[in-house]
Amino acid sequence: MNLASAFRYHWNVHLIGPTVLRAVRWREELFSAAPKGWLMEHLAPPLRINPRMHELVSRHYLRGRYAHLRDKVAWVTSGAPSEFLRALGFYVLYPENHAALCGTARRAVELCGYAEDNGYSRDLCSYARTDLGAFLAGVTPVGRLPKPDLLMACTNICQTVLCWYRVLAHYLNIPLIVIDTPFIYEHAEEHALRYVQRQLEAAVPVAERVAGRALDERRLRRITHLSKEACELWMQVLERARHRPAPLSVFDQFLQMAPVVELRGETATVDFYAALLRELDERIAHGVGAVRHEKARLLWDNLPVWYRMRSLAELLGKRGAALVASTYTNAWAELAEWIDPENPFESAARVYLHPILNRGTGDKLKTMQAMIEKYELDGVILHSDRSCKPYSIGQIDQREQLFHACHVPALLLDADHNDERSFSEEQVSTRLEAFLEMLGV
Amino acid sequence: MLEIPRRSQVIAAHRQHGGGVAAVLPVHSPRALLRAFNLLPVEVWGPPKANASLGAAHLQPYVCSIARNALGFLLSGGLDVVNAILVPHTCDTLQGFGSLLLDFVKPRQPVLTLYLPRGDPENAVPFLADELRRLYQKLQVLTGACPDEQELMECIWREEAADRLLAELHRRRAYLPLSLLDFYRLVRSREYLPAEDFCQLARSALEMCSHEPLHRAKPLLLSGILPEPMELLESIELLGGWIAADDLACCGRRCYSAGVSEDPFLRLAESMLSAAPDPLRGCEVRARREYLLQQARDYGAVGIVFYLIKFCEPELFYTPLLRAELQLNGLRVLVLENDLNDGLSQACLTRLQAFLEALD
Repeated sequence: MNLASAFRYHWNVHLIGPTVLRAVRWREELFSAAPKGWLMEHLAPPLRINPRMHELVSRHYLRGRYAHLRDKVAWVTSGAPSEFLRALGFYVLYPENHAALCGTARRAVELCGYAEDNGYSRDLCSYARTDLGAFLAGVTPVGRLPKPDLLMACTNICQTVLCWYRVLAHYLNIPLIVIDTPFIYEHAEEHALRYVQRQLEAAVPVAERVAGRALDERRLRRITHLSKEACELWMQVLERARHRPAPLSVFDQFLQMAPVVELRGETATVDFYAALLRELDERIAHGVGAVRHEKARLLWDNLPVWYRMRSLAELLGKRGAALVASTYTNAWAELAEWIDPENPFESAARVYLHPILNRGTGDKLKTMQAMIEKYELDGVILHSDRSCKPYSIGQIDQREQLFHACHVPALLLDADHNDERSFSEEQVSTRLEAFLEMLGV
Repeated sequence: MLEIPRRSQVIAAHRQHGGGVAAVLPVHSPRALLRAFNLLPVEVWGPPKANASLGAAHLQPYVCSIARNALGFLLSGGLDVVNAILVPHTCDTLQGFGSLLLDFVKPRQPVLTLYLPRGDPENAVPFLADELRRLYQKLQVLTGACPDEQELMECIWREEAADRLLAELHRRRAYLPLSLLDFYRLVRSREYLPAEDFCQLARSALEMCSHEPLHRAKPLLLSGILPEPMELLESIELLGGWIAADDLACCGRRCYSAGVSEDPFLRLAESMLSAAPDPLRGCEVRARREYLLQQARDYGAVGIVFYLIKFCEPELFYTPLLRAELQLNGLRVLVLENDLNDGLSQACLTRLQAFLEALD
């Protein structure tokens, strides 16, 4: 990096950018306790920490905007073991998070359209279409995405990401690291663990070549330690929802999970979750629930419907139904105890082999049953997500089992996590209303 | 003319001789390993005319019809004759399908799974060999048999011979006095015939080869999962086209090379991973493009038809790039999409007709 680039990077990423973002945060903290039209009589005001989360994520994207001046950039899938890339100094970007951000900003359909114009079918995952559209058209609500030097796809969330990243690798003509994680039908086999570990070890020299430096193991251990700490704190955050009334809803969790997904391994993330915990404890001490008159407590299965978060929160909140737990947000917490900073590769092989999406449909049902007990839940909403087959296949039987064997009411709700065109407002509200009636709220 | 035995006849004959049958879901499976336990692998690609509504009781409408039909077929008793069901990990859908069978549907027959690795070959081959060893142990428990290394190698050699002949049939298809429909009936009999019977049939077919190419219609390359409904083949021929080569998951993509290792499990793994670049195994786009271009050059194809099954994500991801780059290389490209439960639509036929006319 030459002097001019160093100055430009420092000026934008360390001086001007953070100052502007801090000012935006202060303004949000001072002047907007709740967005316009917020249903204060049914829902608690948004968490005070929201502006800080926005600042944290915006700083990450700001850094990305100037990353080419200083760092190598890696685009990785959300379930990928990114700790060693951070240890090598990569700026790590998660296209899935970017797609979710586009979904929340209601820009996904427009971006999907660009991908569809280039021949990508509407039957493909809407995250993939959103990102491919943003990439092909050079359009994004975050300003600009840094061009990657390296891609890494881990199949522990789906095979879709592998095809998606193959396409990206072809467009960009850059190396793609594939971490293939055999699906666990019953239990993880020793040879599967060996296979994943071997691939992780083989990935290091590839990443080192791109980074132009050798992996510092001490740094890797420190980053792995921070990852573990962030995941453990995230678990504590989720567990605060065991209180009645729950101080945070699943909608809050969907927003607050961004740092643990894309910024784990950083001190700021650990500090952020420690602060979030303090706010939740305050809420608990003052008896504040995310839903003011909590009558029923529910579990959400599968990805969020990013473009309808608020309307769904209001629809449920009005009836006193609180979504307090989710298999999706739980996925970034449940394996924290297995992370071992002293054995980063061995433990990464075990951890990254075991996410909920890489386990069988029966195991997912057991996870749901355990969460129903732990959070004392009255019902389950299973989002049948057109864009996520691995999460959705099995839900019809899971619902049957929950309903008939566990006597827990469960509803299958058809939608799509990012593509509004696959969301029927009328159908969803009618089904939710009927479900809530059945729950007696 | 060739006498191709029907699937039901083959199953009945095998059972009559004391053998068992394993229903095998697409795409890649270790036939030799199953045969070593006296289980005849019979592949289940749907089938097209199964009762899909039974499958719809477990699978959402956005799941591909191969999985929904297979489940419907199983639930309607179509697989009652089999002793085991093998579900290779082919894609997200078949992953869910296998898991669903194990955890919820729980059919009478034991369900076996096999993970097909997508990692680099250096790590993938030893992993797949270990997966095959695990499958061997499961089959041992299931059947009570314990084939030794020599017996396993003999089964492998038999399958390798069948694979060689299958590849030869594909290579010499233009010299065979067979219609497209008959040719595909012949090569697809590999889906259920014992290797030794297939070899006999293939040799008889190859003896019929002429010295000159017999088909002079417009040569096409057909890519996709499977040519169903098979009327598609008749239609292509009637409209003046000819499939000079294919890149179908059920046919051309399964021309395996023989393994080289002496360890039977490693040898099987090497062979299974030697097949053509396949989106279902997440291969590089460049490898797919080069393979298709090479096929087109070798067989003189002037156009390529991507015949896709609805909701098949791996195929759908690769198609836009391939279409663009193959066109740049002078190939005409047509993309058609169909569902296993739909007949060949008039729209499909019209597009096919227009495409073939444009090849003039």
